Amino acid sequence: MSLLEVQQLDKKFGLHHALSDISLSIASGEVVGLVGENGAGKSTFIKIITGVYTPDGGRIAWNGQAVTIHSPRDAHRLGIHVIHQERHLIPSFSGYENLYLGLPLPQLKFGLRVKWNQMKERAEAVKKELGIELDLTKTAEEMSPPERTMLELMRVMMQDCKLLILDEPTASLTDQETEVLFRLIERMTDQGTAILYVSHRMEEIFRLSDRIIVFRNGKWAGTLQREEADLKKVISYMTDTDYQGTTAQERTNALHEPVLLEVRNLSTVDGTVRDTSFRVHRGEIVGIFGLAGAGRTELLEAIYGARPIQSGDMAVAGKAQCIASPQQALENGMVLIPEDRRSEGLIMNLTIRENMTLPRLKHFSTGVYVRQRFEKSEVRRFMDHMNVKATSSEQNVSELSGGNQQKVVFAKAMMNNPELFLCDEATQAVDVMTREEIHRLLRQQARDKRGVVYVSSDIHEVLDLCDRIYVLREGTIVAEVPGGEATSEQLLQICYNR
Amino acid sequence: METTKITKSSSSIEWGKIFRSYGTVIAGVIITIIFSVLNPDSFATLDNAINISRQISFLVIIGIGATIVMSVSEFDLSIGAIASLGGVIAAKIAASGGPIWIAFLAPVLVALVVGFINGWIVTQFRVLSFITTLAMSTILGGFTFWLTGGATIFENIPDSFRLVGQKSLLGIPLLSIVMLLITILFWYVMTQTAFGRRLYAIGGNESASRIAGLRVKWNKNAAFALGAALAALTGVLMASRLGSAHPTAGNGLFLQAYAAAYLGMTSFKEGVPNIWGTFVGAAIIGILANGLTIMQVPTFMQDVITGLIVIAAVIMQKFGRGSR
Repeated sequence: MSLLEVQQLDKKFGLHHALSDISLSIASGEVVGLVGENGAGKSTFIKIITGVYTPDGGRIAWNGQAVTIHSPRDAHRLGIHVIHQERHLIPSFSGYENLYLGLPLPQLKFGLRVKWNQMKERAEAVKKELGIELDLTKTAEEMSPPERTMLELMRVMMQDCKLLILDEPTASLTDQETEVLFRLIERMTDQGTAILYVSHRMEEIFRLSDRIIVFRNGKWAGTLQREEADLKKVISYMTDTDYQGTTAQERTNALHEPVLLEVRNLSTVDGTVRDTSFRVHRGEIVGIFGLAGAGRTELLEAIYGARPIQSGDMAVAGKAQCIASPQQALENGMVLIPEDRRSEGLIMNLTIRENMTLPRLKHFSTGVYVRQRFEKSEVRRFMDHMNVKATSSEQNVSELSGGNQQKVVFAKAMMNNPELFLCDEATQAVDVMTREEIHRLLRQQARDKRGVVYVSSDIHEVLDLCDRIYVLREGTIVAEVPGGEATSEQLLQICYNR
Repeated sequence: METTKITKSSSSIEWGKIFRSYGTVIAGVIITIIFSVLNPDSFATLDNAINISRQISFLVIIGIGATIVMSVSEFDLSIGAIASLGGVIAAKIAASGGPIWIAFLAPVLVALVVGFINGWIVTQFRVLSFITTLAMSTILGGFTFWLTGGATIFENIPDSFRLVGQKSLLGIPLLSIVMLLITILFWYVMTQTAFGRRLYAIGGNESASRIAGLRVKWNKNAAFALGAALAALTGVLMASRLGSAHPTAGNGLFLQAYAAAYLGMTSFKEGVPNIWGTFVGAAIIGILANGLTIMQVPTFMQDVITGLIVIAAVIMQKFGRGSR
């Protein structure tokens, strides 16, 4: 009998099916690898199993019994735990204290005092059982990334864990540390714990998994047994063979045009971007594709002056530039369409007008006051141009739909009359119509000899839209492919090949 | 389709919106009417109205200072101490025979620097403004004590220093005129200039403002400096009014300034600190104090009532927001 069995699981966000008709099962002591490209539904699936989301349809059975998981607490009670890429620890608490988060503390009668000794004994027992070397008197912030991973694993094992979901657990670990983690996973499965291992790192998936389940566009795309699995097969399941481009995209070869942006050996202080070089010609839409965590957003931010740079050169329109702030980037004709509209693109409690003219206030100001009539007429002109649907320019942006908000973001960018667009997930969470409009707008900009850098986690969008595509892996560009000829298999091959 | 939906929903909540935007003003009017009915001879007179306008002038000016700092989503807890220090510096200069214009100007300049330091610490080291300005308040309190030896400065203060605080023009106190001019000036700065727009943008969303190319740190520092300058001016005007400066004269104003600003956030532009809102908030607090004093309600009871009204206003505002 399987430990967890889900049938016809379904989850919708608005009109978008994040998951549909997912059926799978996991047995005790089994390691199941879960793979799929960005947005394939892995996270949504995890969130349903752990009670963060409620499914719109389908059944979940636990040890053969139908269950509903309404909250992470319910999931814990069943014995389902998850360890994310980001650690969920309290930095100032010691290892012992962190272990007992969410667990009943052993106490004297009436909660008079916590029995620290008893806490320690049990923690040490678990430590021994798992074969972990870890000083639990250290606070979480004093621990190294792998130590924190160990601590989270211990915490999970203290709670009678039946199913452990590991979501990109090795992202911050070195190879050696990863080995330690793998040994732990083996011990856990020996004790009957089932593991659901989610990762972009294929070699880990191949090494650990008894079975590999592939998701594609929110659907089950296939299951491979350990023996029959290889990279080519997995990728063929991950990519949509019957996918057809939305429209036959116009593409240009603009390599003969002057170089608009040249980036040489760029590295950021925090190490998220390392030794990256690429160029953008006038008239080009250049795509940057990479898996989650490859450093896509960080690269754009570094170019835009919003992320401190360690080393490297940049030239804009042939002139060497040292761009240290967004202000300088704007002055040099760049504009960033940020990934997160709500936290970086717009100021939600201000009006459309106030948002749109913010980077260009000097232009509308006499030096003393803002010429509001001129401001309003310009805003209206750009709203019409971008086809923003709103009651007036005085409407708060928070009242607009996602698509219209994004159009305001673009209108704001257009007001600066930029030469180079840096787009980070520019069509994320917008409707199909707006998505098309944004694509058309960018193509028009390219035709007018401006440049576009287009970052998207949607592989098909990158393939459809871009003239050239750079592939980013672990903070550095590893390949360049022409947009017209590349296939999604090819891009994913590059991403997964380490 | 979306457009029509939005118009529809906004027309159906028109009354609620009016009440939310002007509720505080309406409450102020109601309070005034109640006092007028209860004390027609002493409260509802022109003389008393002029009196109230003078009484609230300090609170309005320091409240505007608090509002400017709040517009960038920060707090300056040192404005009370700055006001005290400002009064003391002014009185010292005036008492030592210095030119009056210097007595008025010097404290404001000192405060600009103090405010800028506050802002610099907050923006450069990313320290909570709460802690920074609380510590600054203690430091300034120490300075003020050192300057005065803890005693009130009242000797040798020339009449010319008292002019602004005590004289009237055409029956209207100069203090009230200064208050009105400052209110109008900063209403203009905050709503009509690019600078004011930037402050509100930063207060609304700092990282989006940064991406939009705004100099976030510089603007925040400027907000702190302006807030401090207005606090110092308040202290100077108080010293001018009383003809003396006490080392803790301004301290009590600090909590009331924030009460006024919070009351103000419930009016005109709901949820946003705004200049006229703060004016109305300060006026309500002033009217309450005046009316309750006329009705011989003891001071401690006045404090209780004022506190309750601020809490009620803030809760009302939460409700208003929730229904959005």
